[in-house]
Amino acid sequence: MNAISRVWIAAAATMMPLTAYAQDVQLTYLTHWAPDTVALLEEAASAYSAEHPGVTISVRAVPFGDLLTTIRSGGTDGTTIASIYDLWLPALVKDGLVAPAPENVAKEVSDNWPAGIAAAASVDGAIYGIPNEVNVYALNYNKALFEEAGIAAPPKTWDELKDAAAKLTDLSAGQQGFGMINSWAAGVVHPFASLLVSNGGQLIADGKPLLDSKEALETFQLYETMIKEGYSVAAMGTADANTTGPYLDNFVSGKTGMIIMANWWESALKGGMGDDFDNIGTAPIPVGPSGDAPRSISYSWQTVVNAGATPAEQEAAWDFLVWLNGPESGKNGASAMADILQSMGILPSRNSDIEAYSDALNRPFLEGYVSTLADAQAFPIVLGGQEFSEALQQVIEQLQYGQITAEEAQANAQADAVSILERAAQ
Amino acid sequence: MRRSHFGSPWLMLTPAISLISVFILVPIVLTVWLSFHDWSTQTGFGAARFVGLRNYEDLFGPISVGRDFRRAFLNTAVYTVLSVVIILPLSVLFGLLVHQTRVAGGQVLRTILFSTYMVPMIAVALVWSKLYSPTEGPINQILSWIGIGPQPWLSSPDTALFSLVILNVWQQIGYFTVLVIAGLTQIPLSLYEAARIDGANRMQEFFGITLPLLRRTLLFSSVIAVINAVQVFEPVVLITQGGPANSTNVLTFHIRRVGIERAQGGLGSAMAVMLMLSLIVIIVLIFAMARQKEER
Repeated sequence: MNAISRVWIAAAATMMPLTAYAQDVQLTYLTHWAPDTVALLEEAASAYSAEHPGVTISVRAVPFGDLLTTIRSGGTDGTTIASIYDLWLPALVKDGLVAPAPENVAKEVSDNWPAGIAAAASVDGAIYGIPNEVNVYALNYNKALFEEAGIAAPPKTWDELKDAAAKLTDLSAGQQGFGMINSWAAGVVHPFASLLVSNGGQLIADGKPLLDSKEALETFQLYETMIKEGYSVAAMGTADANTTGPYLDNFVSGKTGMIIMANWWESALKGGMGDDFDNIGTAPIPVGPSGDAPRSISYSWQTVVNAGATPAEQEAAWDFLVWLNGPESGKNGASAMADILQSMGILPSRNSDIEAYSDALNRPFLEGYVSTLADAQAFPIVLGGQEFSEALQQVIEQLQYGQITAEEAQANAQADAVSILERAAQ
Repeated sequence: MRRSHFGSPWLMLTPAISLISVFILVPIVLTVWLSFHDWSTQTGFGAARFVGLRNYEDLFGPISVGRDFRRAFLNTAVYTVLSVVIILPLSVLFGLLVHQTRVAGGQVLRTILFSTYMVPMIAVALVWSKLYSPTEGPINQILSWIGIGPQPWLSSPDTALFSLVILNVWQQIGYFTVLVIAGLTQIPLSLYEAARIDGANRMQEFFGITLPLLRRTLLFSSVIAVINAVQVFEPVVLITQGGPANSTNVLTFHIRRVGIERAQGGLGSAMAVMLMLSLIVIIVLIFAMARQKEER
């Protein structure tokens, strides 16, 4: 055996384990998307597997209401990749369920995403996920109902909001002016938070809850007025486990004049309204008496890798996610992830995706959201954030159903928040 | 000889005791132990930190942890009482109707009644959430034909829990009817014949013979109905998610939210202990009441 043969044999021996391990990698991807969207993800995963024959990816979907439970009950034995709401990240990191991104992936995120979005994927300066979608809240209104009621333009202030709601309300016809959602934590808290920041307030600052502020009380009082005056009917705002239900039904069937909702509902609205979708307008969140400009709340989603996955699985998972979210995997310089997100009307967050989809993002419905994004505040991401959100949801719902006053709601919300955040920080 | 005489029973009992210990006693003891600790369900038991009675204090405290727990406890109690109070008399009524062997189609009726129990809860939840729809639901449409306005059903805190009780009764009634029929077949016909000779009417037969002799069946039914109702979970998670305004948040759903979603294993364990203690008290009370009646 000559020296060259020995080198070849040594090289082959070195490669053998790599080849074998590459062929053994099976990734699982957990999401909450609907079947149509899951099919697109599976299509992208197949395209990746075609380029990487050793890697197979299977997608598992659960309803949004079960997503966090599935991630937690799976623990370190759960799916290799999971799609998560950014609010969940600190707790999942604390419990050792998600793996930090390798250096090259972290650099990819830092270099290609807006700083605020990348920060939402970080805990204590370390990046744990690859961001994908970003959502922001705006006012959706039914233009046909506005015309019937003689309202020329969407409301810009809370006074105009109340005035428009009054004109749009016709309880004898089962029509409410302003729809307020219940039975879904984020769905309840995000519109409230959007009105709060548009009134110059904040939910949490520097880890401390600020629900005892004047701005927060005014926001609770706005809810109270809407209910007391009959502009909002709480029973018309129920959502189900799939975040649809009467709240959506009433808006798409023209029984609700205005709602505050995120851009990702575009596909649900289109599906429910058909051609009537053109009647839906988007406008900035009305400004409250203590606010100076329209503002909103944004939040993002990201994909994380299970800390319990084997090194080979983690390596393959990150490689797949970089590809899925990179400019080579989609159409016209966009990522495959952006193509999937846009199929649902969701805004992609990667800089190159925003550029690639610049024309599509200017369509009438999304334009209002994109213009709002610049002045949006990220929903506070803190330890205990999910519990904080659920506690605030309960208080707001009690107010919506007339069980407590605005002042009681404020006192309860602040006391709950202080206790929850203190306990979580321990 | 003497040793084998004493040793063999223990030898025979060991497998059963071991299984019971491993799968029932150990988890119960562990849950009680964890209820005195601050513990994340994502970490090992070694990471649990002793906090004494703090978890129990929180359950009865003024903040959201306590408010939500007490509301879930109350909702569970109301759901259980309503379910049992409706299911038991209805199952006796249906049992008496279906047990009439001379009525044509009795077997078919029995099968139809029991079939609701066999339908998977996911299908039941999907169908009933649409039936209850305030705007397009068939129930409200039917009510409108008789002049009753639209009801909010699942959309109002005043009616949501009761709507779930109706769903529960609809699904469970067939099972309990079958239990009652089984009890009715055990009653000797000669007793009814003797009563008729003595001039007893139908009502006297029912209260004098049927009901007393169904006591054991109804005792079993009530225990099972209570346990089933206390463990209600699927309709809540599939339809209401505990809402609106916490009105359908029941203990099992709340424990899942706290213990799994929020990973607060210690607090979730304290809630589970409270649920277990309540269930024990209720079951003991039912048996005590039944025994008292038998002694009379």
